[in-house]
Amino acid sequence: MLPFLKVLARNLRQGPSTDPFPFAPTYTPARFRGRAELDAEQCILCGICRHVCAAGAIQFRAAEDGSGMEFRVWHNSCTYCGLCAHYCPTKAIRMTNDWHLSHKGEDMYSFAETKFVKLGQCAECGATIQPRPAAIVEKLGARYPERFMLCPKCKRETLANHAASRKVIRVEEAR
Amino acid sequence: MSGTYTLPIGPLHVALEEPMYFDIKVKGETVESLGLSAGHVHRGMESLAMQRNYLQNVVLTERVCSLCSNSHPSTYCMAVENLAGIMVPERAQYLRVIADEVKRIASHLFNVGIMAHLVGFDSLFMHAMEVREIMQDVKEGVYGNRMNLGACTIGGVRYDIDAEMNAFIRGKLEELKPHLEEIYGIYTTDPLILKRTTGVGVLPEADARRYGVVGPVARASGIAYDVRKKTPYCTYKELNFDVQWDTKGDVHSRALVRLREAVDSVSLIEQCLEQMPEGPIELERFVEIPEGEAVARSEAPRGELFYYLRSDGSDTPHRLKWRVPTYMNWEALQTMMTGCQVADIPLIVNSIDPCISCTER
Repeated sequence: MLPFLKVLARNLRQGPSTDPFPFAPTYTPARFRGRAELDAEQCILCGICRHVCAAGAIQFRAAEDGSGMEFRVWHNSCTYCGLCAHYCPTKAIRMTNDWHLSHKGEDMYSFAETKFVKLGQCAECGATIQPRPAAIVEKLGARYPERFMLCPKCKRETLANHAASRKVIRVEEAR
Repeated sequence: MSGTYTLPIGPLHVALEEPMYFDIKVKGETVESLGLSAGHVHRGMESLAMQRNYLQNVVLTERVCSLCSNSHPSTYCMAVENLAGIMVPERAQYLRVIADEVKRIASHLFNVGIMAHLVGFDSLFMHAMEVREIMQDVKEGVYGNRMNLGACTIGGVRYDIDAEMNAFIRGKLEELKPHLEEIYGIYTTDPLILKRTTGVGVLPEADARRYGVVGPVARASGIAYDVRKKTPYCTYKELNFDVQWDTKGDVHSRALVRLREAVDSVSLIEQCLEQMPEGPIELERFVEIPEGEAVARSEAPRGELFYYLRSDGSDTPHRLKWRVPTYMNWEALQTMMTGCQVADIPLIVNSIDPCISCTER
């Protein structure tokens, strides 16, 4: 008769199952997908995060002096899907497990992760190139690290000089 | 007492917190016929899908519905993979099955819990929801969110299970098993549950076939149809499980079919954790989607889910269309409700586990 009474008595004995938050700390798993965070030192401004963002929460805005780009992810538009972090080639963007997102209404238009990503400079002529953080140098520029830090024009020149010095192409003959 | 009158039910909170509107013709306390009207939560998602690229749509389809939120992106990904000819690594396929089954347990426990609430047995409802929290902890711990797992991506999955996670999931399943057994016992023997649910909302097999119902609604009416068995996708072929079915076709048998399926899902997850080979979880990242059409189907907690995709070779789908299980199941309410008592209406509505946000999207 009434098989639930046993369960009821047990549940009463056990006491509440909920955490007494906010009066005591609550548990947050390490993998929890919370507020997105960008490490500006790792970003190469490839824009894949903006491409995959279903909510359109990620914006890039060029600085007026052309020194870099302002990266912004609006937390109120973000759906916390973590697709940007998944596709980020240098793991610059990641989902922290911080879920404390309450803020005042007046902060609505500033509630975003805003970081300034500086553009890289050509090691030879100082022209502006895409950022070259260590992570991407190791990944793509491992064979010729010096050449990887150059702008396309300087890169062509170095390659041509390199070839000429080894007499691969005889400049005179080519003319 | 002698005349018939029309009783408006809904659109707010008929059984679940979702809008659904019925015009019910009643004579006294007995339902004579009903008219359904839909469209209260139409969000234009199929149109939104045509304005987003293939990768963004993985996230969009996940937000079609909350309780089967993994079935949508996984079926969508299957359709894209069918079209582009992408092979999903074996480990990723096992991981997809695990995500689907975790969602299935949580979804079924939610539905049978709500049934107890509608019967008026709120302490059992609270208990079922508390047991469901074990699965919610798994979702939060392994995937990072309580509802939207974010497990699938085109060409694979986005999460991996290491030794620590493996032990965590196994521990949680061990914790869940005795509770599931106990809840099943309560649902089969409790006099309150039996009195309110047996013989209510009967859907005979012939009617079930006529309406083309799917999922637990069909299986409780004697149609042992399960996409996981009929056309196995992912790795269901290598896994050992039975199709749970019944012949009574009433509210009670539908709840029991769901509970038995939840027990099966626990065993499916365990089998996956055991058999899962080592290897990559994602092979290709950015694949060009060729021009053409593709379909994919899977067994969502509520029944067969079907995705149709047409591509014109660009990075946005030309058309994305899905058919959800509730679409067929809610038509069957006409048969289930005829002759029932007014007090049983929410109970019968809940027994088809309607997902209005899927159906109206």
